[in-house]
Amino acid sequence: MTDPKGPAGPIRSEMSSDADMLEIIQMFVDEMPERVAALEDAWRVHDTEALTRVAHQLKGASPGYGYSSVGDAAAILERSLKSADQDLSSVQAQFDHLIDLCSRVVV
Amino acid sequence: MPHTKEQQKPILLLIDDSPSIHRLLAFKLKNEGLEFLAAFDSTEGVELAQSHQPSLILLDLNMPVVDGFQTMRALKECSQTISIPVIVLSGTTSPEDKVRAFELGAMDFVCKPFDIHELRARINSAIRISRLMKMLEMRAQVDGLTGLWNRAYFNERLASELAEASRNNKHLALVLCDLDHFKKLNDTFGHPAGDAVLQGFAEVLTTELRAYDIPCRYGGEEFVIILPDTDRDEARQVAERIRAALEAKGWPKFPDIHATASFGLTTAGLAGKDDPASWIQAADQMLYQAKHAGRNRVEVFSGPPSDGKAHLALAS
Repeated sequence: MTDPKGPAGPIRSEMSSDADMLEIIQMFVDEMPERVAALEDAWRVHDTEALTRVAHQLKGASPGYGYSSVGDAAAILERSLKSADQDLSSVQAQFDHLIDLCSRVVV
Repeated sequence: MPHTKEQQKPILLLIDDSPSIHRLLAFKLKNEGLEFLAAFDSTEGVELAQSHQPSLILLDLNMPVVDGFQTMRALKECSQTISIPVIVLSGTTSPEDKVRAFELGAMDFVCKPFDIHELRARINSAIRISRLMKMLEMRAQVDGLTGLWNRAYFNERLASELAEASRNNKHLALVLCDLDHFKKLNDTFGHPAGDAVLQGFAEVLTTELRAYDIPCRYGGEEFVIILPDTDRDEARQVAERIRAALEAKGWPKFPDIHATASFGLTTAGLAGKDDPASWIQAADQMLYQAKHAGRNRVEVFSGPPSDGKAHLALAS
């Protein structure tokens, strides 16, 4: 997880100023390691379908919790997977980028 | 009696496999005065829709096992859920999916990630439209002057009550009533008086009947009442109570009016037949007898030799 600009910092929710919402944002963040694991597992066994499903869910939910960059990256991965067919190496960069962003998410 | 019971909180059913979306929507819509119902897959969603009759369903297209399109088909194929409006929520933005969702009966389509203000507005609009649709449906079934069910509704309801009674081996009674000398009353006191008597009789019906009885205006000065789960003696008592209440009723605006009605009661169809027409004929014959025997009375169809249960009329 290296970044050309050096080690990247945490990604905060764009909605963290909404005190009432903190609780569900925290739950969303707490579940991130699970999602990252699901993505990595699917990647390891070349399960395009599972990868697409997790990416699709991240695309749908992340912006609502204030993580639009995660949503964008998930959308790009989902779209790339459609054209990638069985050859996952062509989407390596998009996959890495999404994993990187997910791992940096904090409230 | 016709009345709307839409005063409770509208129920919103969300069918989506993602818990994150459930939590987000429950949070963002918490001030909308909605009651939330959560389903995480299609089967659960269709079951909850049937059992809870929500005002609106938000349906995710992209679900594992059974997807949103199949769910939509199931909802629209079931008579209990066919008229519940559905907003499709989807991460797919393709026009083909949108067209397909609308063709399957979706009321609206919202892409994920959604803007919460837009979604909120669309939810409220869908609930408003479906309320209006229900109201129109109701209006088409209610008689404008008396507020009772109209003849079209009666025809449908009698057929379904007959089927229900014969299926569950239950009693059913039908009462046809006609105001006595109504034409003379109209000629003597004028049409406003006639209308007042029609409305007054409707009032008597709603007061004297039980909550599950179905009073309808059959046309002109004729009324018809379906009494579910009611045997001959019980029905006779109900009809007699209505007869007496009308006879005793005062007419403050028209003190000289003395209104009465004649009643024909049946718990079986004519000639042992069990179709709606035969039941109406049997009640009509009794009404005719009541008129000829001097009016202001209840005549009861003795029917075929049976205990009066609908299924036996069918079997005989």
